[in-house]
Amino acid sequence: MIYMVVGLLLGMLVGFVVPWGIPAGYSSLFSVALMACLDSVFGGLKASCNGNFDDKVFISGFFTNALLAAFFVYVGDQLGIDLYYVALLAFGLRIFSNLGVIRQHLLQKH
Amino acid sequence: MHIEKGRLSIACVCMVLGFMLAIQFRSTQDLRASLPFQRVEELSARLYQVEAENKELEAELRDLKSLSTTEKGEKINDDIMMFAGMTALEGPGIILTIDDSGKIAKKDNDPNLYIVHDEDVLKVVNELRAAGAEAISINGQRLTANSEIRCAGPTISVNNVRSAPPFEIRAIGDKDNLTNAINMRGGVADSLKVWGIKLDIKPSDNVWIPAYKASSKYKLATASSKEESK
Repeated sequence: MIYMVVGLLLGMLVGFVVPWGIPAGYSSLFSVALMACLDSVFGGLKASCNGNFDDKVFISGFFTNALLAAFFVYVGDQLGIDLYYVALLAFGLRIFSNLGVIRQHLLQKH
Repeated sequence: MHIEKGRLSIACVCMVLGFMLAIQFRSTQDLRASLPFQRVEELSARLYQVEAENKELEAELRDLKSLSTTEKGEKINDDIMMFAGMTALEGPGIILTIDDSGKIAKKDNDPNLYIVHDEDVLKVVNELRAAGAEAISINGQRLTANSEIRCAGPTISVNNVRSAPPFEIRAIGDKDNLTNAINMRGGVADSLKVWGIKLDIKPSDNVWIPAYKASSKYKLATASSKEESK
C-alpha cells in the first residue's frame, strides 16, 4: 500500500513540475486513456484482494488498456462515431464494480 | 523477492497514473484559463482582416486620386454602370437550369408542389448572391437592384417580362462556391429534389450575362443631398 501511495505522489509531483500539457485535440483520447489506467489499477487492487494478483498481467493490462482505449476513440473520431462516451461509460462501470468487490473484501476482513 | 518485484511494478504503475492525473488536471485548468486568450486571438484575427480591407481601400483611393478628372469620371461611371447592370458582363460562373418535376403527383399531394414557383427561383438567387455571385440573369433578364421575381399565373415575371419554365439562371462568380452553395446538404437543391424538380448546374469558364434592357428612368424619385436623420 505504501508503495502505491509513494508512487502516486511521486508521479503527481513529476506531472506538476513538467512543463508540457495535452494539446486540445488529444484531450479526449488522454482522458479515456486515464480512465483505462484507473480501471486497471482498481482491477489490480481487486485481484490482490482475491489473492490472484499477477504483476505481468497487471502491467501489460495497464498499458495495453490505455493505448487501446485511446486508439479506439481515435478510430471512432475518424469514423464519426462517438466512442468516447462509450469508453467512459464502460470504464466507469468497471471501476465501480471493482470498487464494490474491494469494499466487500475489506468488510469481510474486519 | 517475488512480492518485492510486484510492489515495485505497482509503484511504477501508480507513478504513471499519478503523472497522468496531474497532467490531466493541469490541462483542464489551462483550458479554463485559455478562454480569454481565445477571445484575444479572435479579435486580433478580425483586426488583421479589417487592416487588410483598409489597405485595399487606400490603394483604391490612391488609384483614383492619380487619375485625371475625366478619367476618374469615366472609371466611376463604368463601375456604376456595371454595378447597376447596364452593361453586359462575362466571366467564369455557372448556368443553372430549373424545370418542373417529371414525377407524377401522388394522389393526396398538392400538384402545386411539383412545379417551379417564384419562391424557388428566389431561393436559388438568394443562395447565389450569398455565395458571392457578381451578376445574375434569369431567362435573359438581368437582375438589378429593382428587379422583381414574382409569380405571374403559370409564369414568373422578372423585370416585368414573363417567362415560363425551364428557367435558365446564369451567374458570374466563383464556380465552386456557387455550385456548392446550391448543392449543400439540406440546401435549395435538396429541398427541390424531394418533389422531383429538375435542377441542373453547369459550371462554365465563360458565362455571358446580358445588360438590363428596360428603361431606367425614375419618374418619382429625385436625388437628395440630405443626410440620413439619426
